[in-house]
Amino acid sequence: MNYHILMKGELDMFVKKLSKKMKVYAPVAKGFSNFAFEEVSSAGEIAMEYIPTILPPKKYFMPPREKMLDFDLTEGKPKDTANLDAEKLAVFAVHTCDLAGIQCLNMVFSERPRDYNYLLRKENIFIIGLECLKYCDGNASCALVGNHYPNGGYDLFFTDIGDKYVIHVNTQKGEELVEGMGLAKASSADMAALDRAREAKKHTFQNEIGVDPKKLPEIFAKGVESPVWKSVGDRCISCGNCTNVCPTCYCFDMADTVNLDMKTGFRTRTWDSCQVEPFATVAGGENFREERSARQRHRYFRKFKYSVDKFYRSFCTGCGRCTRTCMAKINLKETLTSLAAESK
Amino acid sequence: MKTAKNDTKAPAKAPKAAAKPKVAFFDFACCEGCQLQITNFGELLLDVLGAVDVVEFREAISEKWDGDYDVVFIEGSIADHHAEERLKKIRARAKVLIAYGSCATIGGVNGMKNSFELDEIRQSVYGKDYKLFDSTATKAVHQVVKVDYFIHGCPVYIPEIVEVLKHALRGLPYNVPDNPVCVECKLNENVCMYERGIACLGPWTKAGCNSWCTSNGNICYGCRGEVTNPAKNAANDVISKYNLKPELIKNKFDMYNKCKENDANGKH
Repeated sequence: MNYHILMKGELDMFVKKLSKKMKVYAPVAKGFSNFAFEEVSSAGEIAMEYIPTILPPKKYFMPPREKMLDFDLTEGKPKDTANLDAEKLAVFAVHTCDLAGIQCLNMVFSERPRDYNYLLRKENIFIIGLECLKYCDGNASCALVGNHYPNGGYDLFFTDIGDKYVIHVNTQKGEELVEGMGLAKASSADMAALDRAREAKKHTFQNEIGVDPKKLPEIFAKGVESPVWKSVGDRCISCGNCTNVCPTCYCFDMADTVNLDMKTGFRTRTWDSCQVEPFATVAGGENFREERSARQRHRYFRKFKYSVDKFYRSFCTGCGRCTRTCMAKINLKETLTSLAAESK
Repeated sequence: MKTAKNDTKAPAKAPKAAAKPKVAFFDFACCEGCQLQITNFGELLLDVLGAVDVVEFREAISEKWDGDYDVVFIEGSIADHHAEERLKKIRARAKVLIAYGSCATIGGVNGMKNSFELDEIRQSVYGKDYKLFDSTATKAVHQVVKVDYFIHGCPVYIPEIVEVLKHALRGLPYNVPDNPVCVECKLNENVCMYERGIACLGPWTKAGCNSWCTSNGNICYGCRGEVTNPAKNAANDVISKYNLKPELIKNKFDMYNKCKENDANGKH
């Protein structure tokens, strides 16, 4: 285990030095209590205290719109070229919920057939986490899924211990960076302060719905026909916000575009959402999830049941984005509480 | 062998240039702003003109064409008997008809006329001799003739015009995105208008404009028409969460979408 420290006054130096090596993206205030990861070159631009950003950092690993390949139909046999532009970049001040989200996507995209676009991008992304010492707001449910503490998935991890940050170095790349900047090793007093901060979190963060997370898959299995889904479906307006902001939703749509020469073209993929009308509509007009209740149920099952069956892991990271962004007040904690109450 | 090859090659080239599809642009009740979008193509115009022959386009050229059209673009809504007849004649000469711009595809702002008794509104516009001026309830183009392609928007969004043109030239159907504008707006990571305390029609309006207005600080006015299955009941939760008046949302919709009431089942 390797810990270093950075004085808060040196944060600007840290960001500036880092941004000389690669582009740095960090949470920036957008007004109206909204934040977004954007390119920064100094500490002053960064919102070190922020509630989860509009889009999670998955946008750097899997861009909302991405060109997959160029094709040429001039000859009898179509030719295609895949060009991936994966620039080296750093994402700074990533909360533990979003680190968990990236870990989930890593599992999904490492499965065969592997998603090389995702995996190659990931290789070029330097991740710096930032610990939450208190709740961002009442919509989060990170303690329920155990994401209020760091569980890996970063190169460096910052914890605020007053006038300085303790930095956990988790990778060789991280080690090279802090050594290169000449950051001092953490003293035993710093480590004691880190322990105290973590200890305090045990009281600050409590299971938000009072339901044992291990029981959730079973609660869901029993709740397939629950009236909860009708209630949620009646409220849903199918805007797709909940899935687009989710750090673990990864569904996409592929489309080919032909250029005006009618011979060459390109293939793109764009984030898609199981909540919108065309998602499960197939040729002939049949829609496999015509009812909004079925679409919402599907979304919840993808987070709490199917993912646990397949990857042994909750795909809800507890970030609370779906609740915050829902215009119709569909609240994840309330849905889970009602579902759990029914299965008793 | 050799001669045969040359024979097939030489004539293949000449008719190719001559066989470019004949494309014409026509306008009805509108501001002609969508035509302006075509002239605003910039460099893209050269590529488009490489693929088609523009034979009529009142705003840009003075030539006329008396043959058949491969593709016609219709702008504007149909608001009097004369326009209906003229549109039907154009349709009869066109292989493919594209309605473009909100006025043409959904009736657009001209549809606001339909909120009044026809004679009442005629009188207010034309005065006491209003009967001398022909006027009917506003119709979208598909409410008069068959439409093969729709390009929604006020004005039309340039990348979509080109996409639809390419689909038309290849004879492929073009699916207007049936996602709400929120989807594109969220992908562009805009702060939601509702979070800013402003009512926006994005949740009920068809996407495809890449959230053009909301990405530039304006609300969505619903100019692309409603998604096919908007959640009517759920709007109440939105209205209550953001403390809005239901009439406000309805009035905003009526600005572009009043002609929807003429559609038999609310669908094209």
